[in-house]
Amino acid sequence: MKKTLFFLLLLIFPPLLLASDGSTSSDMGERMTRLILELALIIIVARGFGYFFTRVLKQPAVLGELCAGMIIGPYALGSLPLPFIGPLFMPHHSSIIPLSAELYGIATLASIILLFLVGLETDVTAFLKYSVAGTFVGIGGLLFSFIFGDLLAIFFGVADSFLDPKALFLGAILTATSVGITARVLSDQKKLDSPEGVTILAGAVIDDVFGIIVLAIVVGISKASGMGEGDIEWKSISMIAIKAFGFWIICTALGLLLARKITKVLKWFKSTDLIASLSLGLALLLAGLSELAGLAMIIGAYIVGLSLSRTDLVNEVHNHLKGIYSILVPIFFCTMGMLVDFQAMKGVILFGLVYTAFAFAGKIFGCGIPALFMGFNLRGAARIGIGMLPRGEVALIIAGIGLSSGIVGPEIFGVAIMMTLMTTIAAPPAMMKVFKGDSGLRKPLTAEETQLEKITITLPNADIAEFVTTRLVTAFRNEEFFVHRADSRLRLFQIRKDDIVMTLTQRGGVITVETKSKYESLARFVMAEEMLDLEGVFEAIEGIVCARKISADLISGALNWKA
Amino acid sequence: MNLKKIFTAGSVTVDLHGGNKQEIIRELMLLMVSSGRVRSSDLEGVIDAIVKRELRMSTGMQDGIAIPHAKSKAVKSLAAVLGIKKNGIDFDSIDGKPSTIFIATLSPEENPIPHVQFLAEISKRLRSANFRTNLINSNSDEELLANLIEGSK
Repeated sequence: MKKTLFFLLLLIFPPLLLASDGSTSSDMGERMTRLILELALIIIVARGFGYFFTRVLKQPAVLGELCAGMIIGPYALGSLPLPFIGPLFMPHHSSIIPLSAELYGIATLASIILLFLVGLETDVTAFLKYSVAGTFVGIGGLLFSFIFGDLLAIFFGVADSFLDPKALFLGAILTATSVGITARVLSDQKKLDSPEGVTILAGAVIDDVFGIIVLAIVVGISKASGMGEGDIEWKSISMIAIKAFGFWIICTALGLLLARKITKVLKWFKSTDLIASLSLGLALLLAGLSELAGLAMIIGAYIVGLSLSRTDLVNEVHNHLKGIYSILVPIFFCTMGMLVDFQAMKGVILFGLVYTAFAFAGKIFGCGIPALFMGFNLRGAARIGIGMLPRGEVALIIAGIGLSSGIVGPEIFGVAIMMTLMTTIAAPPAMMKVFKGDSGLRKPLTAEETQLEKITITLPNADIAEFVTTRLVTAFRNEEFFVHRADSRLRLFQIRKDDIVMTLTQRGGVITVETKSKYESLARFVMAEEMLDLEGVFEAIEGIVCARKISADLISGALNWKA
Repeated sequence: MNLKKIFTAGSVTVDLHGGNKQEIIRELMLLMVSSGRVRSSDLEGVIDAIVKRELRMSTGMQDGIAIPHAKSKAVKSLAAVLGIKKNGIDFDSIDGKPSTIFIATLSPEENPIPHVQFLAEISKRLRSANFRTNLINSNSDEELLANLIEGSK
């Protein structure tokens, strides 16, 4: 049986035979076979580890995927020769990235999709609403972290000056909070809409936005200074910073301004599937353009995501891209793990530990101190600082860019991974601890002005309510709202159009629509009109002699057929 | 919302003559015909549609505002007219007061368009007493149109 399988494999994969000597690699077919086998291994192992980490260790999947990469990567098990194909992952001494260009290309694509979706999920409305506290918290955390990272690089002799690209990268890596992990913990604890929770989320948005700007500037400076060698003048640095910042501001402003126009054009295609593909196309286009403009590709992708986040297409695009996201993004995290060179890290363990300690300090002080001035007490400030701790996707991406452009070496990359792992592991349990207890505000909240208005209709039973819900959903669609069923088990719908957001829930015979008070009358109008139309429908049903008569006719018809 | 696209001088009037609900509806629908929104052969059809909707529930709201509306095959896009009845008439309004400002709309029966949002928006703007007074005190159709567009900004 085993033999047959082996020969079958040889028939299907003749390149496997050729690959066994491992010397010639010019053959496209062989390279593709290798790529496909690499992907197969990565997907299976990364997802397996991800599952194990979330279910058994109760840790974020990203950590599992990273660890999977470290284990199967070229610096560990990956270098062991496999029968017929030799080592699947080999350190290529010729290039900085110890992976094949094909595989790294797929990881790059994954990072672009990741940042596109991060942008898409950025809730600009919430961010604007809590902008004051969030802005200070976000900027505080960003500044402290960046300066700590940068100064540590100088202190440990990794870099020569504050503007040394290496120092800039070590600063930039510390800036971006990965709010996904925090958001999940907060939502488990039902603290997502607490003042601390909201401030953390808004702060993380600021953090993302400015973190990307910082990255844009850092990449610009690094590229200009030629692989981190030599000093460049202040004048040219400020030019690059202006250029990077300018590109960012112009693209973001244009994106936000044009978003509705773009949405209109996209909607013209009337296919959400096509809309999702086209938006991804746009993201890739701007990603390429931003690389050409001397910035990083993920910046362009993030801008497109951010621009579309204010439109009503978010849910549609998001739903369609969820599939590729869940397949490609673990590949990205896994390849990042593969880049960790354990040998190179030997000499920098101490630096790594100090760097990690300052990663903690940067956010706890950087976010906590501004929070103290924004109406939070010490408890609240600690909650916010700890909530902002986890680094993740963006830190990995920045570190990856640093490594692939040759600015930071494998040892610094390893330090970045170490910091990401430790902050991410430490944050959730710490958050669970600090979020217990009393209010984190100096003056506990009284009446909340952001309160949602609730409109309730009570119907005789669940069947009728279900029918009415379907009609209401259609009525909102006819008013050109995008209606998205948020949960397939509950009858919970999110209804959006431009800035208007409503939620419709049906529980038993009760239908509830919640929205901000300024949209209440619109919701009432739409619902009232539909209920009036329904009155006609119900009258028509009464007009039919009775359902039992129709049913009897149907049954007798069935019996007649038999005869 | 661009009211300039929806209303023209021909589709507003400061002087509705009708003395009861039925007459006012007919007058508003005649305005639809005279301003080219509805073909004259469809006049009776649209009056019928509006009356049927009024029978379900009156569109006479608070503060003298009424928004008679219906879906009809006679229009391909949103059509609206505005009429003022200075002394007001009984339109079975919610607050029982006579109605003075009438905004009548027709929206296509198939291919639904966001007409309820239009109604909601315009009624929201009409909550301003100043805006209402300006509309009612307009002396000519041109002035009414100008006040409508100015006040809706």
